[in-house]
Amino acid sequence: MHKPVNIEKRQFRILYKAFLLRVVDLELLSADADTSRLLGQFAALFAGLSYLFTFWLIFGGGGISPDFLSVMEHFLIATTMLVVGLVSVLCWESIFPDRRDVLVLAPLPVRVSTLFRAKVSALIAALSLSVLSLNSISGLVWPRFFSITNGGGYVGMFHSLAAYWATMLLAAAFMFGCVLGIQGIASLLLPRRQFLRLSALLQVVIFFLFITVYIIEPSLEAPKALVAPENQRLLTWLPSYWFLGLFQQLNGSMLPAFAPLARRAWAGIAIATVVGATSVLLAYFRMMGKIIETPDIVPGGRRANWSLRFGTMLQTSILLFSVRTLLRSRQHRMLLSSYFGATFAIVLAYLKTSLKLLKLLHGAAGDAVDVSFFVASIWVMCFAIMGVRLVISMPLTLRANWIFRMTEIRGVTAYLSAIRRAFFVLAAIPAWLLMAILFLLRWPTWRIAGHLLLLALVGMIVVELSLYGFHKLPFTCSYLPGQSKVHVVFWGCLLVWVPLVAARFEMRILNRPLDFIWILVLLALVATGARWRTTAVAKSAEKLIFEEEYPPELFTLNLLQNLGVPLTHSTATDSSSQSL
Amino acid sequence: MLEIRNVSKRYSSIPAVENVSFCARAGEVTGYLGPNGSGKSTTMKMITGLIETNSGSILFDGAPIHDDLMAYKQRMGYVPEEPYLYTHLSGAEYLVMVAQLRNLGRKLATERIDGLLRLFALYDDRHVAISAYSKGMRQKILLAAALLHNPYLVLLDEPFSGLDVGSSLILRSLIEELARRGKVVLFSSHELETVERISSHIVILHRGKIVADDSIERLRTLMSLPTLEGIFSQLAVEQDTVAISKQIADLIHA
Repeated sequence: MHKPVNIEKRQFRILYKAFLLRVVDLELLSADADTSRLLGQFAALFAGLSYLFTFWLIFGGGGISPDFLSVMEHFLIATTMLVVGLVSVLCWESIFPDRRDVLVLAPLPVRVSTLFRAKVSALIAALSLSVLSLNSISGLVWPRFFSITNGGGYVGMFHSLAAYWATMLLAAAFMFGCVLGIQGIASLLLPRRQFLRLSALLQVVIFFLFITVYIIEPSLEAPKALVAPENQRLLTWLPSYWFLGLFQQLNGSMLPAFAPLARRAWAGIAIATVVGATSVLLAYFRMMGKIIETPDIVPGGRRANWSLRFGTMLQTSILLFSVRTLLRSRQHRMLLSSYFGATFAIVLAYLKTSLKLLKLLHGAAGDAVDVSFFVASIWVMCFAIMGVRLVISMPLTLRANWIFRMTEIRGVTAYLSAIRRAFFVLAAIPAWLLMAILFLLRWPTWRIAGHLLLLALVGMIVVELSLYGFHKLPFTCSYLPGQSKVHVVFWGCLLVWVPLVAARFEMRILNRPLDFIWILVLLALVATGARWRTTAVAKSAEKLIFEEEYPPELFTLNLLQNLGVPLTHSTATDSSSQSL
Repeated sequence: MLEIRNVSKRYSSIPAVENVSFCARAGEVTGYLGPNGSGKSTTMKMITGLIETNSGSILFDGAPIHDDLMAYKQRMGYVPEEPYLYTHLSGAEYLVMVAQLRNLGRKLATERIDGLLRLFALYDDRHVAISAYSKGMRQKILLAAALLHNPYLVLLDEPFSGLDVGSSLILRSLIEELARRGKVVLFSSHELETVERISSHIVILHRGKIVADDSIERLRTLMSLPTLEGIFSQLAVEQDTVAISKQIADLIHA
């Protein structure tokens, strides 16, 4: 028999590994998919960003002013805090054990404390990996330049390196502690069922809060801005500046203006750590019993199921299934929030730079509608549709798909029509309505009405592009990680750049009614053509796709066919398998 | 009539079923038996069209099912072995979704769903998420979803799994009643007593091959055994069950 301490250590190690890999929901992946590959992709993405942060240093060269160094210090700290904050919010579900964990582990002789330690350790490991990969290159290159302010030389450089990494890890601990604290306090104060309901909303709100603060926080790194009396109140509410002060303190280059910020950072770390750890620990023991008693997914209302109709039976069925899944499945809702959050950040950053948003909000700018708003509205429309397309490609419960396969009693075009309707109701119409309300409230003019008309047509075209070759039901097809879809990246880039040009053109033609009508007709024709093409491709499809499959490792070149020798598909497949 | 002709299925060159042939006739209950891993569920999935055969054909009313799979699916009701459902939906929402997917008329579907929920004693829990349902409740939802469109071919893979005694008795009578009304009923189960009581025709599968295909009476006569349990043990159980149980007890005692 093993000693109890050894057993606990072994249990901890096993659970830690299992929870670390479960940061990604396995149910989303295809049977052949590899979780570690997906985690590797995330790490590569962060490392790529880290490389971008040093791009200017490597290729730009030239001297760096102390002011720019302060800006860069703040940027790196704020970005690390944002990433850790977002990853913590994305891992929200992993903090507490779910029903499956409890059902599997409760009958086993595993202590709640072991489970808790394994969960938190796995999360800390995932967050540490994010911090490490995000700073993998910038965290080695930039400290060399930051050492200029603490005397330089090898000693100064190592001092800066240590200060840099210590600041990043402490900032990460602060963010993680804040997220833990919010979740822990909410779960302590609310009954489990209400917590589940509020938890999803809280998660989305925090997610958008992090992004908004990151984008709109003003640049106050310069010594003058730091001591300006009008900025003092703002600085007390912006944690990224506290950690800038902390870095300056640890780096040994602190100006007096940074002292209160550094003090605030230390206090923040202490409070976040204590409150986060205590509340989650208390909530853990309180919730364990209740997890089994209450379902993970909050049941729907008692409304009559037949009262809502959105076209044919199939259209209604697919739409209601999509809406209910988005509303009740936390991982899908979070995925959509991440996507919308990124869109929100892009749009906000663009508007901030092109319009000086803060001035506009304070009424300093004029009343005329700017082309930037047109660009922003087109982006919102395109990204809303692309976001829904991305999210509905992720399955909910692969093993429950059999019911859709058993009831597949119509052709693919009928399903396409139902999916199209779901796209309109979930993405295009809400995005259009949001833009219409915002625009018409501020500028109730005919030009805006014309823009909204064009925006509707753009929405129709993007919906058809998203549906091209998409022969899957929402939330039913398995997902293979690691597929680099170059064409998607290409079209994604176009979606970013085309509106920049198109909106300027639109602004001009809105003043010329005849040209405007011609463009309307042209876009209507494009939308009709795209719809026809999507339907034609669906007609040629035999059945819906439920299982994503790896592309064949060998492709035949059909050389014999090129020489005029007919080659059937089966023969081609046979020859490729023989080659294998 | 459902006819399975020389059907074989391999998974990565490992045979799951080999040359399986049998018929399930209208008005009869065909019991499909076999030990775990014998290929019962694979056969069921091939009959539903969920997986394809490697060789052989499956005919329904004389025509291969894949000739018009959609029409075939309209006439078929299926209860799978595992109760996998969309647990974020309530029982009523799930059944309404199935009715809509099957293109049932609104009035007819409402009547049937309400009726089935009441008869299966699920009406009070119809708005509760399926994730909170017990195994038996989930099984009842699967049965209701399979019968909602009044199928002509009823395929039941372990339909008694998780049901309480009362519900099992209802289901037993229901299967007999469906057959009496001229439907083709094929069901697999490990409850030999139930199978013996309600099946007019038995097919026993062992290691992917058919080892018996006849009426119970004829099997009893041919094998000179009084019960289906005896017949099944002789044909499909290779192990010495008493010896194995002793070995298990010895192992955990050591």
